[in-house]
Parts: sequence; C-alpha cells; structure tokens
Amino acid sequence: MVMKNVKNAHFWQIDHKVRNILGAEGVVVLSSPQAWQKFDWVRSLFKEKPKEGYFVWVKKQVPFPLSTCVTIASPKISQNLTNLLVIEKGLKIKANVVCNAAKNNLYGSHRAKGKLILKEGASLDYYHFHQWGEKDFVSPDYEFTLGKNSKLVYNYKNLLPPANLELRTVIYGKENSSSNINFLINGINSKIKIEDILFLEGENSQGIVKLRLVGRKKSDIDARSEIVAKNIVKGHLDCQGLLVDKDSKISLTPKLICQNREAQLTHEASIGRIAEEQLTYLRMRGLSEKEATDLIISGFLKI
Amino acid sequence: MEKSLLKVEKLKVKVNGKEILKDISLQIKKGEVQALLGPNASGKSTLSQVISGNPKYEITSGEILFQNKKITKLSPEKRVKLGIVSAWQMPPAIKGVKLSSLLEKISKKEFKTSEGKELLEREINVDFSGGEKKISEILQITALNPKLVIFDEIDSGLDIKKLEVAAKIIKKELISKKTALLIITHSGHILNFLKPDITNILVEGEIICKDKDYKRVLRTIKKYGYEKCKKCTFLADRP
Repeated sequence: MVMKNVKNAHFWQIDHKVRNILGAEGVVVLSSPQAWQKFDWVRSLFKEKPKEGYFVWVKKQVPFPLSTCVTIASPKISQNLTNLLVIEKGLKIKANVVCNAAKNNLYGSHRAKGKLILKEGASLDYYHFHQWGEKDFVSPDYEFTLGKNSKLVYNYKNLLPPANLELRTVIYGKENSSSNINFLINGINSKIKIEDILFLEGENSQGIVKLRLVGRKKSDIDARSEIVAKNIVKGHLDCQGLLVDKDSKISLTPKLICQNREAQLTHEASIGRIAEEQLTYLRMRGLSEKEATDLIISGFLKI
Repeated sequence: MEKSLLKVEKLKVKVNGKEILKDISLQIKKGEVQALLGPNASGKSTLSQVISGNPKYEITSGEILFQNKKITKLSPEKRVKLGIVSAWQMPPAIKGVKLSSLLEKISKKEFKTSEGKELLEREINVDFSGGEKKISEILQITALNPKLVIFDEIDSGLDIKKLEVAAKIIKKELISKKTALLIITHSGHILNFLKPDITNILVEGEIICKDKDYKRVLRTIKKYGYEKCKKCTFLADRP
C-alpha cells in the first residue's frame, strides 16, 4: 500500500493477524507473503515462502522513522516471522522495531528470521526493542548486509526478557562500511543465548560490537561474540556483564579471527557486580536498596 | 535549654576488627554550624559515614539519636528521610546515570539551581574534576532539603575561587535556612567562610577539644600542628 503525504510508514501485527500496514511515497510496506508474490527478487532472498512477517523497501529518502510492531496478545501463540528491510543507495533511514507480549503469562513463541540490506552509501539507525512475558520463548535471527560505504547503528534493547531468548545476529560489512552494534539485555529469571558474528569483508570496513548483559534472579546468560577480519579492517568487541544476584550466571566468550595481517582487531571483556560503595552512596541519597540497584542497572544498560 | 538535633553518645566503632572511634560524644543543635578538625586517619570520615548509616561500619557500643529518637540501627535511606545527609569526600562514579536524573528522583520539590548547571547532563561523577564533584555533592544535598548536613572534606581539592562558590551555595541554601552543619575538614580553609559556632578536634578516634573560637584553633594548629592539641590543657574553651 502506498499513500502520499503521510508522515509515517509502519507495519503492525498482533498474534498472526496484520492489523495495519501503512506505506509512504518511496516506501513500500507489505506483509512478507505479499512481497514474495509481488517481487521476483524477494523470492531469491528466502528459501521458502514466508508465512508471516513484514517487508519494507525504502526507495526514497523520508524524513520520519519507519516503525514496526509485532505483538503476542493471546495465549500459546507461535509466531514464525520472516522479515525483510531493504534500504536503497545513499538513503539515511531510522527504524523503530518493537516486538512484545501484551501480558506476562501468555506462553508465547516468537521466532523471527530477518534480512536487512543496506545498499551502497545507505545509513540505518535501527532501534530494536523487545519486551516479553516471563513464560515466552523468543528467537530472533537477523542478518545484516552492509553495502559499500554504508553505515549501520543497531541497538537491541531487552529490559523485560522472556523465559528463553536465543538471539542470533550476523553482519557482513563490505568496503568502507561501518557498524556500531549494541546489545543491552536485562536478564531476569531467563535463559539467554546470544551469538553474534561480524564479518568485516571489505577493505577499510570497521565495526564495534558492545554487549551489556545483566544477570538477575536465576538468569543463565551465554554470549558468544565474534569478529572475523578478512581484509584491512578495524574491529572491536566490548563485552561487559553485571552479575546482580548470587544465583545467576553469565558466560562471555569474545572471539577474534584475523585473516589479514594488517587488520586491527581488539576485544575487552569483564564481568563484575555492583559495587557496595555505589549502593551505599545512592542509599545515602534516600534511595532504597532496590531503587539504587535499578538505577545502577539502568545506567549500565545505556550506551 | 535548646534541644539537640543530633546526639552521639559514647560511640565506639570498629572497621575490620580495628577500633577507629573511641568513646565519641557530640551534640549538634538545630541551625548550629560545627566543625570537626583532625589529622589524617583520625576517624573523621568514619564518624561522618557512621552518622549517615553506612552498614559497613560496626558500632560496638554507644548510641546515635536524632531529634531524641535512637537511629543507631536505622538504614541510610531512612536517615535521609529524617533529614540527615552527608557529602562524600570521594563520591563514586555512577556510569550512565545523569546527575539531573538523580536530582529529579531524590528532590523533594522541583529542582532549580543557578550553580553547576553544566554538570546536570553529565553522568554522575564520571570524569568530574575535584571541584565538580564537590559542587555535585552540594547540589544533591540541597535537593534533599536536609535538617543536618555532614560535609566531609568539602574544601579539599578546591581552589580559592571554587571554595568561595561552594561556601556561597552552602550559606544561601543551608545556613540561611537554619540547617545544622557538621563540617569535617583537614585544612580548615572553609571555616573562614562558614564561621562555625563550635570547632571540635578529633585525634586518634577521640574528640579531645571543643572550642567556640575557630580562628584560635586554626592559628594553633597552623603553628604547632595537631600534636599540640594532644598535650593542650588550657587553650580549649570547652563548652
């Protein structure tokens, strides 16, 4: 659907039903099955016909952010999404992507397989917000392809995690591309598995990947973060964990693979706890121990 | 007789098994400004932290009363609610949290300031200079609308200009509103601006002298050091 003179472009799905789709001039927004039918080139990007999900194709510069919202609102829903976002050459786009559960105890399942393609010189600021119920299973699997001279800022923020989160992200950076990837996850009684790989393929491509992981209330977090340098590139991994409760666990595995001796790859990784001194300081400003802990965590989860 | 706001009675405090404060007694009245001077490691900061309720210190005997109620076992946040607030000598950094966010959270009324505006959008104490930390502490304290403020080495690391700024805010926001102050200082520089009613000398965990004339105390310490205080039998005008 294409509309003129609108100041928004969005896709909104609840459970399995598409509630609203709004395109704009230069922005095509469809459901993935519709896009599969309509465009031959879409078919080449996916192995099989999508069941549900969104397709956003940005062909012209727009002054507003794109937005998508996929919600689980009914009990025991199992979503299986296939999403595709394509940004044409030289466009600078912002996107706000929300996936959530409307209630805390829906036992929902949200699987999303997505491809995001930034063509030459394109720029994307992608804000990915997750908010789940404590019984949900969530598995996003996203692949970013960054064309020559393109620029990606990807912020994944999950402050209310599901029971089980499997987050997989792969980024391919072509010549002169840059990527700034941030994963901010507040583990509360959750089993979380994170796997991200940044392939710096093109000459002078560069990327920073930051992980900020909080372990609270019997959380078990296993994060594997990897950069592969295939050319003269620069990459940095910054993995930090904050273990709040005694019965939680965080495992961080940064990995650097260098296939070009002129590449510069670095990493830092640390896991710590909240300093008693910080807690006491904030309590001496009148905050309760819980309020002080929450404030320190909110600061840790900011980039 | 005017009632005490704060009363510390025969307080003994241990840290890691070592006795730091030995039999401390101190009274501060409403609106009174007192100073506590002492050499390094005499127990000044420990006293500040103990009155504010830092749980890492072990009180082995004695009591702390505030407005005639025992607060010896009260949590730090409850003491703040009663009106006891302290400025830290070396406040920790809180990454990712703007000073303005904390001030909004703790402030009892809409927070306004003419000083330190440039600090509001910065993360609390992250890369703050010594002077900026002191101004940040004063801003936080004034936001809490306290009855008693303990300043721990508020004058350390401040040049004369910053010291004047700090003293100006303290006078305007606290002293003029009859807030009681306990000013802990090693150098004593700030006392010339804040003019305490009583000056206490703490040496080796004991208050060994109380004097109403802070100038005389400063002169004596400048001339003879704290060693003289230990031996002194007549200089002090013990109230």
